[in-house]
Amino acid sequence: MGVPVSPVITAGTLLFIAGAGLLLAMVSGRAAPRLWLMGIAVGTGAALAAAVGVLAGWADWDWRSGFEIGGEQLHFRLDAISALFLALLGVVGGLGAVYAQEYWAEERHPRSARAGRLGWAVLVAAIGLVLVSANGLHFLIAWEAFTVASYFLITLDRQRRDVRAAGWLYLGASHVATLCLFAFFAILAVRTGSWELGSMQEQEELAPLFWLALAAFGLKAGMFPLHIWLPSAHANAPSHVSAMLSGVSIKLGIYGLVRFSGWLPVPAAAGWVIALLGVISAVLGVAFALGQHDLKRLLAYHSVENIGIILIGIGFALLAVAQGQAAWGRIALAGGLLHVWNHGLFKSLLFLGAGSVVHAAGTREMSRLGGLWTRMPWTAGLFALGAAAISGLPPLNGFVSEWLVYLGLFDAVESRGTAALAAAFAAVMLAATGALALACFIKVCGVVFLGTPRSAGAVRALEAGQRMRVPMIVLALGCVAIGLAPVLVWPALARAAAAWNPAWGSLGMPPALGALGRIHAAVAILAAVAAAWLWARTRRAGLRRGLTWDCGYAGPTARMQYTAGSFAGTLTEWFAWILRPQRHELRAVATFPERAGFEEHTPEVVLEHVIQPAGGVVLQVANTARRIHHGRVQAYLLYLVAGVVGLGLLVLLGARP
Amino acid sequence: MNSTLNLLIGLAMGLNLLALGSSRLPSVIRAMAVQGVVLGMLPVVITREFHWPVALVALVTMGVKGFGIPALLRRAMRAANIEREIEPFIGFVPSLLLGAIGTIAAVAVAQRLPLLPEHAGTLLVPGALATIFTGFVLLVGRVKAISQVCGYLIMENGIYLFGMLLLHSTPLLVESGILLDLTVGVFVIGIIVDRIQRAFDSLDTRKLTVLRE
Repeated sequence: MGVPVSPVITAGTLLFIAGAGLLLAMVSGRAAPRLWLMGIAVGTGAALAAAVGVLAGWADWDWRSGFEIGGEQLHFRLDAISALFLALLGVVGGLGAVYAQEYWAEERHPRSARAGRLGWAVLVAAIGLVLVSANGLHFLIAWEAFTVASYFLITLDRQRRDVRAAGWLYLGASHVATLCLFAFFAILAVRTGSWELGSMQEQEELAPLFWLALAAFGLKAGMFPLHIWLPSAHANAPSHVSAMLSGVSIKLGIYGLVRFSGWLPVPAAAGWVIALLGVISAVLGVAFALGQHDLKRLLAYHSVENIGIILIGIGFALLAVAQGQAAWGRIALAGGLLHVWNHGLFKSLLFLGAGSVVHAAGTREMSRLGGLWTRMPWTAGLFALGAAAISGLPPLNGFVSEWLVYLGLFDAVESRGTAALAAAFAAVMLAATGALALACFIKVCGVVFLGTPRSAGAVRALEAGQRMRVPMIVLALGCVAIGLAPVLVWPALARAAAAWNPAWGSLGMPPALGALGRIHAAVAILAAVAAAWLWARTRRAGLRRGLTWDCGYAGPTARMQYTAGSFAGTLTEWFAWILRPQRHELRAVATFPERAGFEEHTPEVVLEHVIQPAGGVVLQVANTARRIHHGRVQAYLLYLVAGVVGLGLLVLLGARP
Repeated sequence: MNSTLNLLIGLAMGLNLLALGSSRLPSVIRAMAVQGVVLGMLPVVITREFHWPVALVALVTMGVKGFGIPALLRRAMRAANIEREIEPFIGFVPSLLLGAIGTIAAVAVAQRLPLLPEHAGTLLVPGALATIFTGFVLLVGRVKAISQVCGYLIMENGIYLFGMLLLHSTPLLVESGILLDLTVGVFVIGIIVDRIQRAFDSLDTRKLTVLRE
């Protein structure tokens, strides 16, 4: 561990400044938006600086206060793993606040703008506390504050019924996770005799606790069968909140998994299970995304996909630990961790872009958008950049982290251990995921930004203002920077990986990473040159603008364009066994058909076919039991008599022998 | 002594059946009142010698149970303007049968209980059990709130009978406490009866089902 650059500016002082800034934001959130923004900026900026400092080699921050909450001493710790996630929080938390100033402004949302500001400050502070808590009890308190703050932010627009429904689903699912965490920390505290958290690798009997942690953090992260809350919450929340949810909140699930799989011993099967869940999440996440017609719901399913990619990295790292193969394990882990950052950056960018679209056109339905490229060039360009990044196209950041995961997998295949076959399978699946994701984002960009507008809202759409554009530009620059100079982020990843498993020692950078950066730079320069040349050529030759998607018709209408459903039709057909699309078709019959129509809707399969029937059974049992609760005093007294007589009989019969 | 005691308790048990078999509210109240007076005499009979405090307790018990509470109930009855228990949940003949079975069962059970030798020969325990059971049958089987108050009071009489077992060890204060508890209970029920009457225009407790959540 290195030394702080100056005795005054340490991670600790920066974090205290961050705390003070967020407190200021909480106090001023209701009445003074400018002061609030300043508080958030100071808070997230200081947190980001502290995180970057620790990642760059400052000493870990470990601070105990004499102050007690719930009988436990406050204990904060910022190590490289926490710092990795804290840095992401700093970026998204700050930029989201700037974006919200215009997107969720007082004039447009007089009822909820104040609550939104307050909630944002509380959310950022709570997530920060989760990340630095080194005491199980305080972790739980911060976790609960974070969950509840998210709930209020998701339901900011609570006049709408589907927003409330999404909020309830989120709250319910989150509390199942919290319940698992309660069990997890309570059992941990009983077994170790203290709420203090830290490395307990030597206590082998703690290993089964990992499954509880997996359930809790997996629910939060939205890995496949537990993702039920995620699509509706992300779709119905205001877009800056969606960006926070997808960019940072669900990463806390990953944080928990990484944190506690590093501190606690894990069962032998843990790596296999996480890798398998990762593969399932990645493939099915993108499959479900293909079936969506709602822009933000589609992005939400891509979060499931990307969580899957991260989990593949972590799962193979755990496998490597179990098999004593540091070489490929740490590369897989570094890939997974870098994907946390990358996904945080480009998914926030995409959600903010989607927010601009919704803000301008007034709908999330892709079948009502279209032709926005000419109306909102900034949003469209930045969204397309984010789409390229999330699809894992070089020279952007998505490719770097996916490539690191691939590299780990390929090395695992080469090592010819028991994990080789699994790694080969995972690599193939990852490749399939990447291809499907690319198809999905071509669909999004094509339907939303190209063609002609499909609704009056899309016709009237106007470009987003400065305060919505700047955060998107900053996020896009982040995506480009990591893509062009992956070497710069490697030390941070190496420190986090070393904090995760100190036995691996310090990680040498894979030499190919530098080459990748240079190739990316070359590709970017070539692309820029090609673009400039094309531009100059078209300028010289003169441009004639015509309708896109003309298809040879003389008078095409907007309805004749490809729809989102028809574009992805072939691909969704492959996954019909799990997507279970509901089709309502009105075929054109006879020579002069009267009317025809086709409608397709992809349900929330896990929610509607598994959770709801199970909930229905529970409700039925509860309703049957409720029949004995009918309000008749006499019958209640009868229950009483029967109970007393039964107890008396029990005593009499029991006393006889 | 025991024969007097058993005679009085036997009388109380007979009054149980009277309360169960009667459809007119005044006769139920009267049965309850007489039972209260009979039970009020018990402390004097049990202690054999004359103590001022015990006599006082007996007097107060008789006064409250035999005259005070019944008078309150009669007033409530007149105010609510009901005389009879119509269509009870458990009919009068089945109630009587239940009461009889309960009384027999109480005697049978009491013989199996590991009692102190001084209590084994008396009807105190079976009497208490039978009276409590009677109270329950009234509470479960009757519809009108006033009948239920009677059921509650008869049940209290049963508990009082149990208390007689402990007369030698229970301090006076606890005795008074039981009485006070009883009185407060009746007052509360009296107020509730009044409220039910005003809110529902009837004392039919079946209408209370609308109050469930």
